[in-house]
Amino acid sequence: MSDEGDDVSPDGSRRRTRWRGLVGLTATRWWQRATRTTGGRIASTIATVALTVAFLLVVTGVALALADGGTASDDDATVRITAEDGSTLSAVDGVEGLRLGASNDRARELRSAPGVDHASPVLVETVRLESDEGEPRPVRVVGVVPDGESRTVAGLPTAALEAGDPHYANGSYDGPRAGGIVLSPTAAERLEATEGDEVAVSMPGQDQANTTASAPTVTVAAVANDGADGDAPVALVHLSELQSLSGADDGQLADRVLVWGEPAAAESAASDAYPDASVTVAGQTDPAALFDDGLAFAASAVALLVGLTICASFVATTAGMAVDEDRRTLAVLESVGVPVGGRLAVVAVSTGLTTLVGALAGVALGAAGIAGVNAVAGATVAPGAVAQFHPLFVPYGIAVALLAGLVAVPYPLAVAARTSVLAEVGR
Amino acid sequence: MSNQSVRGSRSSVRDRTDDRESASAVRLADVRHEYGSTGGRFRSGGDRTVTALRGVSIDVPRGTIVGLEGPSGSGKSTILHAVAGLLVPTAGRVEVAGTDLTALSDAERTRLRRRHIGIVFQRFYLLPSLSARANVALPLVQAGVPRADRRDRAESLLEAVGLGDRATHLPGELSGGERQRVAIARALSTDPDVIVADEPTGELDTATGRTVLELLTDVGRDRAVIVASHDEGALSVADRIVSLRDGRVDDVR
Repeated sequence: MSDEGDDVSPDGSRRRTRWRGLVGLTATRWWQRATRTTGGRIASTIATVALTVAFLLVVTGVALALADGGTASDDDATVRITAEDGSTLSAVDGVEGLRLGASNDRARELRSAPGVDHASPVLVETVRLESDEGEPRPVRVVGVVPDGESRTVAGLPTAALEAGDPHYANGSYDGPRAGGIVLSPTAAERLEATEGDEVAVSMPGQDQANTTASAPTVTVAAVANDGADGDAPVALVHLSELQSLSGADDGQLADRVLVWGEPAAAESAASDAYPDASVTVAGQTDPAALFDDGLAFAASAVALLVGLTICASFVATTAGMAVDEDRRTLAVLESVGVPVGGRLAVVAVSTGLTTLVGALAGVALGAAGIAGVNAVAGATVAPGAVAQFHPLFVPYGIAVALLAGLVAVPYPLAVAARTSVLAEVGR
Repeated sequence: MSNQSVRGSRSSVRDRTDDRESASAVRLADVRHEYGSTGGRFRSGGDRTVTALRGVSIDVPRGTIVGLEGPSGSGKSTILHAVAGLLVPTAGRVEVAGTDLTALSDAERTRLRRRHIGIVFQRFYLLPSLSARANVALPLVQAGVPRADRRDRAESLLEAVGLGDRATHLPGELSGGERQRVAIARALSTDPDVIVADEPTGELDTATGRTVLELLTDVGRDRAVIVASHDEGALSVADRIVSLRDGRVDDVR
């Protein structure tokens, strides 16, 4: 068929044709085996890879939600707008990240955008609260603009606060104070306050003597039955009142702007209002947040390690078994003149295909698993999402599975390399 | 049996005629082989060696069918494997198309096998997950033949062995005789100078075996064909029969 020296062609076209042929042959053979001849074994390998990848993604999804889910950011908004490079909030006073400016005006514009139900800036400050019966306590106070609807911000319901933000008064900050506050159970307990009590509000840096004399007071409008995080002392107040107290009224600063409504419309309106800010649709936390949260990072790292180990072990075992049972094929390839490199390529491509299909199935299963975990958690223990899916999970799951395949492939290759045509035809 | 001669499929693939004119396509000169010795690729275990060939010399000219007969252990398969380049004998020379296989590296022997030798096994050894056409085209993949040409070549060969309508069938959907004809078509796909067939009718009934032998006879008109068999009927197609006993040539007729 071929002349001497046909392995050497000036443009390498014959070599490319040969490798394309080998890969095509392997893919055809793999498909036939999966669908007609030995589908059970391939299906079981795919299923295991898929389950491993799905497990990895569910755990990573939970970790991602964990990384995202400080109480002060636990809300049911559709879209969050944060400053691009400084969206994190610090519990240490005076070490806040970047904030959004002109937030009140832009939130008002957002509220009138089509498909947007409501928009509210959110300002988080550590504030000292003191009830008549208790000691002054630092509490993380979150300023919002409620609209009377049942919404959750910082794990607390906004509905108990008077709708609107009268103190804002179109930016003059001289309107009447609504003077309401919603306390988390922990905050109420520490302040020894109950619904209807008055609480004095002051910034921690202010002089104690002046504080008692001039501090504004607010009335406890409600004590939440439960917060998203029962240990954190958190409270909700009207945004403009907190801005005035903290000095954030100069520039209408907010840590984030929350938007409720149709996801696509809300995202579009948010991007228009803050073109340079980070706009995140609910359930799409920046995966980089995983690296900022020790527990979440540890959980996802362990999941990665376990997933890689299980996946690689299983792929190596099943692929090795498959090659062992498939020695005849390798012997035939040798007998028709396919060199050892080509035979190993057939094994490697087969293993890679199985792993890739398993990875794709695993990503789909992982997405379904995250939805399932959220459904179960929502019906039992948690009010919101406990796991999040991110689009980056797709390449992540595939990459992890392929890495596992790469780790696993030397074993089936070693089995294949030991196969001899004489041993096979002699059987 | 077949719609066209297998011989006829040859000229369309290769026009080269120069090396066809040499007298011997295969020449074995004083070949000795011991399994388990350092010259063999495969050890049978421990320090024990088994002598399979003891100074075998055979010439197989082009256009000749040579039959190898003898009891089990007489060395028939070892000769076929040596000619096919699947093993390197402990001593002696094995020339195929003028090249001494014993002087080649593993990779060079594999390349020579791909270009000059077709093998037909007793148990067909088709890949069960590939269609008859893909099985026939298998050796052409490594030869770097483009896909369309591979398909054309495989289909014309299947047509030649009378299986033109079975091209897309998997081996499991074919009878034993049909599988062996597919195996012969595969052995012919690279238009080799030499065909080695190890018990080609061993798994077939008499009538089917006869069909396969007719095919091999047709193939052998312009190639060197070496057939090893216990079956007198299978050997009846040979131009020359070499009898082996205890690794030696006992008789030639």
